[in-house]
Amino acid sequence: MKTKTPSPIQTTQYLQVRDVKISFDTPKGQFTAVRNINLTIGRGEIVSIIGHSGCGKSTLLNAIGGLVKPTAGEIVLGGVVVDAPGPDRGIVFQNYSLLPWLTVYQNIYEAVDSVLKNKSKAEKAAQVESFLQKVNLWGHREKKPSQLSGGMKQRVAIARAFAIHPEVLLLDEPFGALDALTKASLHEELVNLLQLDNQTDTVIIVTHDIEEAIFLADRVVVMTNGPEATVGEIVEVPIPRPRDKREIVQLKEYVEVRDRLLYLLMDAFAVPRRPAA
Amino acid sequence: MKDEAVISESWPRTTLRRFTAGAIRQAVAGFINSAAWTLAGFSLLLIVWGAFSGISQGALPGPLATLKVLWQLVSHPFYDNGPNDKGVGIQLLSSIGRVFIGFGLGSLVAIPAGVLTGASETCKKLFYPLVQLLRPVSPLAWFPLGLAVFKHAGEATIFVIFITSLWPTLINTAFGVASVPDDHRNVARAFGFSRKKYLTKILIPFSLPYILTGLRLSIGVAWLVIVAGEMLSGGIGIGFFVWDSWNALSLERVMSAILLIGGVGLLLDRGFDLIARKFSYA
Repeated sequence: MKTKTPSPIQTTQYLQVRDVKISFDTPKGQFTAVRNINLTIGRGEIVSIIGHSGCGKSTLLNAIGGLVKPTAGEIVLGGVVVDAPGPDRGIVFQNYSLLPWLTVYQNIYEAVDSVLKNKSKAEKAAQVESFLQKVNLWGHREKKPSQLSGGMKQRVAIARAFAIHPEVLLLDEPFGALDALTKASLHEELVNLLQLDNQTDTVIIVTHDIEEAIFLADRVVVMTNGPEATVGEIVEVPIPRPRDKREIVQLKEYVEVRDRLLYLLMDAFAVPRRPAA
Repeated sequence: MKDEAVISESWPRTTLRRFTAGAIRQAVAGFINSAAWTLAGFSLLLIVWGAFSGISQGALPGPLATLKVLWQLVSHPFYDNGPNDKGVGIQLLSSIGRVFIGFGLGSLVAIPAGVLTGASETCKKLFYPLVQLLRPVSPLAWFPLGLAVFKHAGEATIFVIFITSLWPTLINTAFGVASVPDDHRNVARAFGFSRKKYLTKILIPFSLPYILTGLRLSIGVAWLVIVAGEMLSGGIGIGFFVWDSWNALSLERVMSAILLIGGVGLLLDRGFDLIARKFSYA
């Protein structure tokens, strides 16, 4: 819920992940995806979580979203312990997760209708329209998801998450399945949307793309390898936002961050090589 | 971002390709091809039928004699000369009516029961053993029970159809409901869908193709069972017509009835297939 006058604690320690461990019961016994996760994120901060496949980064994001309950530890958002999904968090899922029988418009409308229960039909419709316009999909509103390209589907999913006016945006490998060009244009689109929202949104992006992690985030959280993964290192990106994709790659800071991340992912937390068969 | 929008504007043109001249020619060729095979199949049937008729020295009526009778039957379908002499159209309509009443009532029970069975682990544990036990029972075994309860053969037949229509619909609905993907469930959870919204926007739309498959199977079996049911119940209906024709020693009429029953069954199946296609979202 929106707080009118945030206390300093709520600003700098807006989202806290404390000693979180997440395990699942499997037929082969308990499987621990992540453990000892500690993370403090300030309001309006953009954080990337990066790591190799299977490092539990999506699991951690789902826990912040309230879709998965931590086995131990707790997640505190704006002073309240997270134990379920809520309208203060908008989630963009890895595989778009649009409902295939609904049109683009309806997919967003149903989410808006659920979250903004007290608004009138006209207000909700206006909300849906404005976000469809912002992602340039108003002309495609009557289409079903199966008629859209991957990039368009993800824009619908992003519009859906933004349209409920969340305070925290959780993006789970949002651009993982897209080609490099579409990805780049969606990065800029995402940055524009965040600009329009006055940069008050706190954003967490799970990714395995180093460039994406640096371009979008203030800090990059590097996970160690799973199972039982944890936070390996947190790398600051000392480049002011908003950034220009073409310009930042020339910066010394960018190169340093990229080299550090490359070192961490390729050497320090490299996936152990399998012995040759 | 502008560029991508422009590129993506152009994609619907690909769907237009379906309607180009080449595609139409291909569709027509395909239709002629399958019609030719169907015709060949029927010719084969007529030859074998004629041969058997010849071997049996007329005990089994041949195709020509049958078609003559069939023509008589269908050219006066709705005459009514009292309880034991009605046109074949009246008989068919009465059977179809009973099938739809029994099937409708059965569906009204089977769909909600299927939704519950698929959605709740408790209901599944409760209902599944019952379904497994009762499903293999020939629906005709319920006929005496129907007679005892309703005292009327007509109602008892409807009751048999009701029982028949339960199982395929219930099992398919339950399967559909149970297989709603986690992705869809997570959308409902993440955006806080109400129970009603989850039901109407996720659960029902997702399970609809499964439900329709169940209904299609149900009506198919119901149509199989009605003939046998009416042979037992007598009175009116295409099943009764078959039995009555046998008693009147007119195998031509029996054979004609077989062709008509097959035709109606085919139409029912196609009809449901058409509805199912309308609601498939993939």
